[in-house]
Amino acid sequence: MDRSRVNIAVGIFVILGIVALAYLSISLGQVSFLSGGGYYVTADFPSVGGLKAGSNVEIAGVEIGRVESIGLGPEYQARVSLRVRSGIKLQEDSIASIKTKGLIGEKYIRISPGGSDKIIGPNGKIREVEAPVDFEELLSKYIFGKV
Amino acid sequence: MTWLARALVLAALLPMVLASPQRVWAGVPTDQLRTQIDKAVKILEDPELKKKPVERRVAVRQVANDIFDFAETAKRSLARHWAPRTQAERDEFVSLFSDLLERSYIGKIELYGGEKVQFVGESVEGEGAVVRTKLITKQGTEIPIDYRMLHRGEKWLVYDVVIEGVSLISNYRTQFNKIITTSSFQELIKKMKTKQEEFIGEDKQKRTSQQ
Repeated sequence: MDRSRVNIAVGIFVILGIVALAYLSISLGQVSFLSGGGYYVTADFPSVGGLKAGSNVEIAGVEIGRVESIGLGPEYQARVSLRVRSGIKLQEDSIASIKTKGLIGEKYIRISPGGSDKIIGPNGKIREVEAPVDFEELLSKYIFGKV
Repeated sequence: MTWLARALVLAALLPMVLASPQRVWAGVPTDQLRTQIDKAVKILEDPELKKKPVERRVAVRQVANDIFDFAETAKRSLARHWAPRTQAERDEFVSLFSDLLERSYIGKIELYGGEKVQFVGESVEGEGAVVRTKLITKQGTEIPIDYRMLHRGEKWLVYDVVIEGVSLISNYRTQFNKIITTSSFQELIKKMKTKQEEFIGEDKQKRTSQQ
């Protein structure tokens, strides 16, 4: 019976390993099916420049959701779909801006809450947006502009 | 009523039915904005007024008052700090804020030197509209400027200006929020007042040195 004991121990060890791997890949891959829920809102940006699905959505630096998907909307605008944690209320005059972490860091969406009484409901739309500032374009404008 | 009279009445009513609100308002924000911008440019190009900077500024401010909704801009800039304020506090803030905007933007407008405004597009969604324009400098540099407008009664009024993708309201909202959360609303009013007094002092000095 000694042999089966070893087998069981190995089996438990392997299962533990698989569970640990699964946990690692879920937490590293930022898969959020465990914390599913929340509601969706969309926002149309003239350009998203480097924003990706999975990017953070923050208020005051606190994560309140994620970018779910990015697609091309009408008039060649970028339509960004955000999943916001349930319980977080976004006022109708909230502004969604695409910002960069630090000088060359990753892009995220910062929402500055508004003061309106109206709340954006599920599948609503954030109308006030700010596209990321394109530094290269700005630079070239002010370098080549001064002829 | 004969069938002819009936047909005539119907024909007269038809255009009214066809002209749904959507169709009536399409293009109106751009038209209203264009009229005001043309007015402002005319004032700025007037050689008579160039000699009288004070009158010129008053004239530009009047045009701005006709198309801008300063109260809405102030309200949105204050965001969630607007609701707890009393009516008197709100009035004081709106007047201080429109003075601040006048100092920083209408003051800049006086540097106008033949830039052209091009209307690129317009999108209307319910009560809101965005009019996209380009300011073209003499060197040919294009600066995108979007005007966000709201439908108020008969008029469309501008409440936010987005220059190069940077929103005016967003800029002030962040600043005001920082000041109010770290100190208080009264502190913000005090700061705005001292800035105003400083400016009036500087303006007087400039004028006396010019004379």
